[in-house]
Amino acid sequence: MIHYLLGILLFVIGLYGVLVKRNLFKIIIGLIIMEYATFLLFALVGFREHGTAPIQPGVAGKVFVDPLPQALVLTAIVIGLGTTALIAGLAVRIYEKYGTLDIRKIKKLKG
Amino acid sequence: MSEILYLLVIPFVTGVIAIFLPKKIRPAIETVGILGSVGSLAYVTYVYVNLVSYTSSWWRIDGLSRFILLFCGVFGFLIALYSLKFMRRFDRLNEYYGYLLFTIGASFGAVLANNMILLVGFWGFLAFTLFMLITIGGPDRTGVSEAAKKTLIIVGGSDCLMILGIAILWLLTNSLRMDSMNVSVATSRLAAVAFVLLAVTSFAKAGAIPMHTWIPDCAEFAPIPVTAFLPASVDKLLGIYLLTRLVTDIFALNTAMKIFLLAVGAFTVLAAVMMALIQHDAKRLLAYHAVSQVGYMVLGIGTCNPIGIAGGLFHMLNNAIYKGCLFLTAGGVEHRTGTTHLDRLGGLAHYMPITFVSFIVAALAISGVPPLNGFTSKWLVYQGLIMLGNEGGKLWIIWLVAAMFGSALTLASFMKLGHAIFLGQTPDYEKAIGHKVREVHWSMWLPMVVLAGLCLAFGIFAFRLPLAKLIYPAVGKVFVPGFWQPTLATILILVGIVVGFIIYLMGRVKIREDSLPFIGGEVLPEEVRVTGTDFYNTIREMSILRTIYSKAEQKLFDIYELGKRAFLFLARGVSYAHVGVLTSYVAWIFLGLMAILFVVVRLR
Amino acid sequence: MVNSIPLFVVIPLGCAFILPVIGRRWERAGDLFANLVTVTLLGLAIWSVRFIRETTVYHVGGWGAVNGIPIGIYLVRDGLSIFMLVVVNLIAFVATLYSINYMEYFTDKTKYYTLFMLMLAGMNGVILTGDFFNLYVFIEIAAIASYALVAFGTEAEELEAAFKYQVMGSVGSGFILLGIILLYSYTGTLNMADVGRVILDKGASNLVWFVNVLFIVGFGLKAAVVPFHMWLPDAHPSAPAPISAMLSGVLIESIGVYPLTRIMYNVIGFDGVLSNILIVLAIISMMIGGLLALWQWDYKRLLAYSSISQVGYILLGIGLGTPLGLLGALFHLFNHSAFKGLLFLDSGSIVYSVGTRDLREMGELDRRMPITSKTNLVAAMSIAGVPPFNGFWSKLIIIIACIQAGRYGVAGWAILGSILTFAYILKAERYAFYGKAGRDVADVKESPPFMCIALIILAVICVVAGLMLLPNVRETILFPVVNTLTSGTEYIWRVLR
Repeated sequence: MIHYLLGILLFVIGLYGVLVKRNLFKIIIGLIIMEYATFLLFALVGFREHGTAPIQPGVAGKVFVDPLPQALVLTAIVIGLGTTALIAGLAVRIYEKYGTLDIRKIKKLKG
Repeated sequence: MSEILYLLVIPFVTGVIAIFLPKKIRPAIETVGILGSVGSLAYVTYVYVNLVSYTSSWWRIDGLSRFILLFCGVFGFLIALYSLKFMRRFDRLNEYYGYLLFTIGASFGAVLANNMILLVGFWGFLAFTLFMLITIGGPDRTGVSEAAKKTLIIVGGSDCLMILGIAILWLLTNSLRMDSMNVSVATSRLAAVAFVLLAVTSFAKAGAIPMHTWIPDCAEFAPIPVTAFLPASVDKLLGIYLLTRLVTDIFALNTAMKIFLLAVGAFTVLAAVMMALIQHDAKRLLAYHAVSQVGYMVLGIGTCNPIGIAGGLFHMLNNAIYKGCLFLTAGGVEHRTGTTHLDRLGGLAHYMPITFVSFIVAALAISGVPPLNGFTSKWLVYQGLIMLGNEGGKLWIIWLVAAMFGSALTLASFMKLGHAIFLGQTPDYEKAIGHKVREVHWSMWLPMVVLAGLCLAFGIFAFRLPLAKLIYPAVGKVFVPGFWQPTLATILILVGIVVGFIIYLMGRVKIREDSLPFIGGEVLPEEVRVTGTDFYNTIREMSILRTIYSKAEQKLFDIYELGKRAFLFLARGVSYAHVGVLTSYVAWIFLGLMAILFVVVRLR
Repeated sequence: MVNSIPLFVVIPLGCAFILPVIGRRWERAGDLFANLVTVTLLGLAIWSVRFIRETTVYHVGGWGAVNGIPIGIYLVRDGLSIFMLVVVNLIAFVATLYSINYMEYFTDKTKYYTLFMLMLAGMNGVILTGDFFNLYVFIEIAAIASYALVAFGTEAEELEAAFKYQVMGSVGSGFILLGIILLYSYTGTLNMADVGRVILDKGASNLVWFVNVLFIVGFGLKAAVVPFHMWLPDAHPSAPAPISAMLSGVLIESIGVYPLTRIMYNVIGFDGVLSNILIVLAIISMMIGGLLALWQWDYKRLLAYSSISQVGYILLGIGLGTPLGLLGALFHLFNHSAFKGLLFLDSGSIVYSVGTRDLREMGELDRRMPITSKTNLVAAMSIAGVPPFNGFWSKLIIIIACIQAGRYGVAGWAILGSILTFAYILKAERYAFYGKAGRDVADVKESPPFMCIALIILAVICVVAGLMLLPNVRETILFPVVNTLTSGTEYIWRVLR
């Protein structure tokens, strides 16, 4: 149970970053922390107490961790990498255009 | 069945042809337009003669729809004829004739429809064609586009109400066929809601208060044939057609609903005519009368007794005729002088005699002067209201007084209009427009004369012709109490005129004397010309009315303006919530999440 | 013809990889290939309509079920997916056709088409997939491509919009992923049908309800449901016009409304609480979106807000849950794609020719740009719901469905929303086309031929789409689609069979 709670705590920390920080890059980092908290939760879902790596098939009585989340988290991490690269690129370009990284000053679009 | 299909196919196919013709080939477009309207008129006459009654799940022809159908065709043809000359200088002629023909077709469809979905389809399509016809309008693009927008918002928005009403009816009766419905308003509140919704739809089309506010704007900015065709005649026919269907076929009304209708009618008569009195533009003035006359129709139909309904329907027909005629005369004036502003007009009777005579006939008819048609129908409406009193109501006297008072004011405002345009001092037209004013082309005066002739014919032979042939088949034979014999009265009036003429000839009285106005020996310059409108400014200055008028001119009684202000007020508030800062947006997302979670926890 | 199913994903994905390679040498390759791809896909989608009554499952990599337990990724093609495929690929086809001329405006067409194809692959994947994780992956593909496309012009506003869009979009994706994870922990499987089966067996616990909420928020964010809509009015207008048409016309529906509907109806099971939540969200969206649209002077921003309002209508029909409501919702989804796509393309034509998005600076365009003004008129009348254009019929069905379901108040809100629609779209019509010109428009010309063809195609669809409601036609096309939803969790057995 404690793992899940820690995962959720991590998620909340990320959320805090997105909600409170003004700097674009800190917001991005908050976003990444949120993302990774979900990945962590996902990996934990597959966790079994005293489980081993699911390498030997057909062995009875042995506990394996669930391999599926691990595979999927890898995929998700790759996607996360793509989004991070894109959003960091956007932030750099925004800095070029606006001359600031303060999110509260980047508000040409409103209403 | 096939007859009905042809009835729709002729105008729609010619309309499509007209719309897709290139804008440049004007003669071809005009030919198609005229052919389409003539074809529609010819075929609708054929149907009128041969198909007395027909019912299927989709279509229906009965006494009521027959004559309305016929008159939609008649007006379509007359307007197309009138447009030949009038619309020459307008751009987008192909669209004009195309949408004109579509309007004819869609009005046929709306009247023929027995299925309510079909009805709302054609009904909504008419709002669209009206919008398009208005946008063709004159040089003042801002005004034209604003008027078109307002019209479609009011008329189209009321179609949404119609959908709601139809949906409720469908829920109550499990049917969409208009002929099989008989819903008593007294039984459920839903039925009452449905009735009010559908009635408001018909008000929006016909132009009764409070849904009338598009008509003056539309009249001011749309090309005059469009105004004469839609708001003045065909929309009246359709709106009142629907109201009649509602009152006679679909619903059985209770007292509260009757009072609702009567109150709307009476208020419409008075308020609109009061607004008409202070207008300075002939088109706007006529438009307010177009609204005011709807009041009589609603009053007549609101009585729910046969004589009142007959009066309402007859008045609808008469109004379409004389109001169409009045708008066409105003169009003739605008065509020749380039303006309809009353302060800049005057003395046109001399230059445009045929227009003037048509105007006088129609103006007397709308004012309810015997023996013209307007008198007979108003008289029937009054009889209906009195009958209401015999049935035991107490409020009938209010409605009756309102109707009669409105009639008097109508006469007053037409005195003003006739004086300002056709009589009075003549401004220097040659200086203003650069050429002499003369009578309009025959293709423009012919429709006016035909309509004026109809005013006379329907008045003099009221009981024998229109009532017997058109109205009674629709509502059943009506016993008319009291006696009004229009033919005899006409003969008497004619005799009176002849006698007067003879006296005039015998006496050789010098009745005319030209003399310059004497103003302390000064020569009267052009600028201090006394116009017809000045006499009526006193009404505006009366103490109570002044505040009401000034509020009305700020559009405080305009349902469209009120709605617009309310919506924009709300929109401004919501818009401020979109501050543009990402952080607050993300906070909104989480608040939304919390709210939904809370709801789920509470509901489960 | 099971093998045709993965083509919807494979062809655009393949094109997206090939284009950057050959696009370096050959400038026009993008135009040619992208149009070929979208034409092929549209043809394929229309051809698939013959299978609209069937549920066909494609096992990716040949991994079928073992002992009745699905172990591979399933692609599922049933009535609803075919319907969505037609919608998506139709708009994609029109948008690529339009791009041929329009994107001359921008510098790197090849990159644009690459991103476009990625987005298309993502959307088609979302529609076809029968697997939760796959759903997430495809949503992310489509979403990332759309973030990049929003920023494609790389002006200040576009970058800002893309940044906000991506931050909020990532939050939404995070919720979706979290929901998927929780579902996995509860059911031990990721196959949608299998998840549904387990939930049927074990019952819907509180956890499933929490997942429901997460999905409503996550997919609601993708579909721009108020109060999760703030990114849309920034992002959609900033993109190039064909992309705006794609985003507003199909993206919010295919990665927002469609998965939500699919999961609610076919996997987890729909009930009264969900219905109420959806209806309330729908009404709020309708009203807020409409009000804000009324307030705008930027034409594309006005259209973007109107998308929020129209998605509210779709959700309203879905929330009602009756067959009639679903029919109205799905039909409105189709119609919204057509007319909103058309409106955005028209706004693009105006930007192309006049060079402004501000309604006050436009005017008199009905004479200068006849095709744009006529097609825009058709689209405006459709969205306002004027017969005989398509929007009227869906509006009619939705309102009747509200009454039929006994929700009279909801019907009243729908009417009010409809009047608001009239108001804002006519405001745009009036200022852009019929009003007095705010700037000199004397030398404004009609847009180039491919753009006009694209506009005309969509305008024709707007006019004739109402025919889909004719008897016989509706039984063959629309009713099977509605059936896939009304039959609810029977979906599970059709897939697992």
